[in-house]
Amino acid sequence: MATNVILARMGEVTLKGLNRGKFEIQLKSNLKYRLRDYGKLSIFQSQSRIWVEAKEEGNPYFENDESAKELLNAVTQVFGIVSASLARKFDGDMDSVLQNATEYVAGLLAEHPEYKTFKVESKRGDKKFPLRSPEICMEVGARILEDHPSLSVNVKEPDFILQIEIREHNYVYAGKVMGHRGLPVGTSGKGMLLLSGGIDSPVAGYMMASRGMNIDAVYFHSFPYTSEQAKEKVIELARIVSRFSGRMKLHIVNFTQIQLDLYKNSPQDMLTITMRRVMLQIAEQLALKNDCKCLITGESLGQVASQTLEAIGITNEVVDMPILRPLIGMDKESTCDLSRKIGAFETSILPYEDCCTVFVAKHPKTHPKHEDIEKAEANIDIEKMVADGVNNTEVIVI
Amino acid sequence: MIYFDNSATTKPSQRVFEVISKELLSEDSFGNPGSLHKLGMKADKEYREALSRAASVLGCRDDELYFTSCGTEGANTAIEGYMSRNKRSGKKIISTRTEHKATLETLELLSDRGYEIVYLNVGRDGKPDLSQLENELDDDTALLCFTYVNNETGAVLPLEDIIRLRDQKNRNTAVYLDCVQSLGKLPTDLRKMGVQMASFSGHKIHSVKGVGMLFVKNGTDIDPLILGGGQQKGLRSGTQSLLLAKAFTAALEEAEENREKAFSEVSKINSYLRGELTKRGAVINSPEDGLPFVLNVAFDGFESETMLHCLEIHDIFVSTVSACSSKSKKVSYVLLEMGIDRKIAVNSVRLSFSRYNTMDEAESFIRAVDEIYEMFSLKR
Repeated sequence: MATNVILARMGEVTLKGLNRGKFEIQLKSNLKYRLRDYGKLSIFQSQSRIWVEAKEEGNPYFENDESAKELLNAVTQVFGIVSASLARKFDGDMDSVLQNATEYVAGLLAEHPEYKTFKVESKRGDKKFPLRSPEICMEVGARILEDHPSLSVNVKEPDFILQIEIREHNYVYAGKVMGHRGLPVGTSGKGMLLLSGGIDSPVAGYMMASRGMNIDAVYFHSFPYTSEQAKEKVIELARIVSRFSGRMKLHIVNFTQIQLDLYKNSPQDMLTITMRRVMLQIAEQLALKNDCKCLITGESLGQVASQTLEAIGITNEVVDMPILRPLIGMDKESTCDLSRKIGAFETSILPYEDCCTVFVAKHPKTHPKHEDIEKAEANIDIEKMVADGVNNTEVIVI
Repeated sequence: MIYFDNSATTKPSQRVFEVISKELLSEDSFGNPGSLHKLGMKADKEYREALSRAASVLGCRDDELYFTSCGTEGANTAIEGYMSRNKRSGKKIISTRTEHKATLETLELLSDRGYEIVYLNVGRDGKPDLSQLENELDDDTALLCFTYVNNETGAVLPLEDIIRLRDQKNRNTAVYLDCVQSLGKLPTDLRKMGVQMASFSGHKIHSVKGVGMLFVKNGTDIDPLILGGGQQKGLRSGTQSLLLAKAFTAALEEAEENREKAFSEVSKINSYLRGELTKRGAVINSPEDGLPFVLNVAFDGFESETMLHCLEIHDIFVSTVSACSSKSKKVSYVLLEMGIDRKIAVNSVRLSFSRYNTMDEAESFIRAVDEIYEMFSLKR
């Protein structure tokens, strides 16, 4: 009897030397976590592939094609997976291979009536199988041509490639869904992401997670100047990032009083910079408390006044931790593309962000100097402000 | 909790609650008024009774009233239904840009179908320009669409003047009047008002959401919007809800019983708040002669939504029509149309009252505003 299984291919992980085992164990564990809502699964590794199979009969994600695609997508969202395919698994001799191949093609043609040409590729892992790979290809090809007269062979540019794999069990499949590549989350330490409600910061979190980093996030909430909806939106964005980065803690700092004090005590044109300096210091304290080794921001050079080189320099100097800025050299369009790819864009553009533009200066300093910031912070007890922010934090586990 | 958002919706009254619970708990009142057996007959009888009681409050005949699902359905049915049935009465419709969206969107649709929509200018007092109306009213004018009381400012329409002009210029021009905000607050005597169609909504008068009424004067024919089993004389198909009919009528009667007292109480609240808020530098957008139940006010130094949330902290609920976004601020089209400066419009919130509000609440409100100014003001 044939059943459906998922075969997933690993990328960069396989290039690792002595550490490879650690990376693979992490990847399997991440897959297990990501697929926790898809029924009881067996996830195992064999010959540089990862296999996902249902442990119990009747798991809908392996029976119905639409649900299987949902599962396949979830697999490809796990960093470390390069691509994945839904394959038909069966046992038996060459007759069984031919029978399963032609049935698989019938199903494929029902879904893609536009397919006119194909080619067959095969791999024979089980060297005891009586036919060699080229012979398997020839026989399967012949049978398909006979059973499906609308098809012809094209080895250069086929509409689909039928893959036959002969191993401990046999597999047939066509096509693959590309994964998000990268390294398994959990292999590169943990970072604290400064998450706003915008487009950039969720993408920055996604990018660092793709390098194997666990992510915690911090959001600065200024109710009543920003609404509860804005907070809900950030929680939703954290949830979207966590689809890729795994379990995440979201730290919500009650920032209203700090915002007001800054507003009253620092010059308007330096407001954004003093505010960002305070935010970074609070984020660093929270990072230290939560075992994070870096901060992550969605800054992109020159995008807004606080992201000029001078402004970044002045905000950077208040913290000791490295600040990773994965978007620093990216243009907005590329960031938007990535945001769409990870499914965050529609949420990011909901209109609650910066609802109150009251705190944003009309003409902020784009090239702040040291004496500017010294003057701006002269009347403010920054240390106390940072401590208050850290203490006024609510944590949500996403 | 201080609820000053009664133009958005109101809390169902105790009487409405009792009517509904009794109806739901009763063993034999679930019948379909269209059924021929005795359960149906009972439902039909009680339904007609509810209709008849509503008619006597509204000053019209039983057969001129239809139950709908909401005010929006009433506006859509009246405007579109009238123009669809009376194709030869003209191609021109006169209205204003301060109408509710239920009216404006329907007019937009008719404009796409080739009708000429004339929007009268509106003054700082929220009233349409009557001399412009006089000039525009002609033989080709099929319909006038106006709101009796504006939902954002409380501006009251000079209805008598409008009806007089209509009678002078073209007696065949029909008038549709949106009475959603005036119901239970201003006297509603449909026989005397001179309008051909009017819509009402239950949840604005302490009934429940999901029920409204449409008045269509005898002799005025309109096409239905909802087709089906021909209930309510074919104008509004769909099984009638005895529960909702009773819930509407009970609220209507109760509102009428309390109308004069409520008007005088709310007038006091309104003038107290006007005075206190003006002292504190707030700008009153509602016209002097507006309905006291609505007070539109701009707080200096506070964007609408910020003030809404500040008040929320004090468990006070108001509303804003200007939702803002990082790119563009959506500002009340009604205020802008009245010629109110954009800078004031973005700071505007609407307080709206009901007979349940008290002077104590108004005083607490002012105390809250003082605290908010103290705590959150961004004036340097």
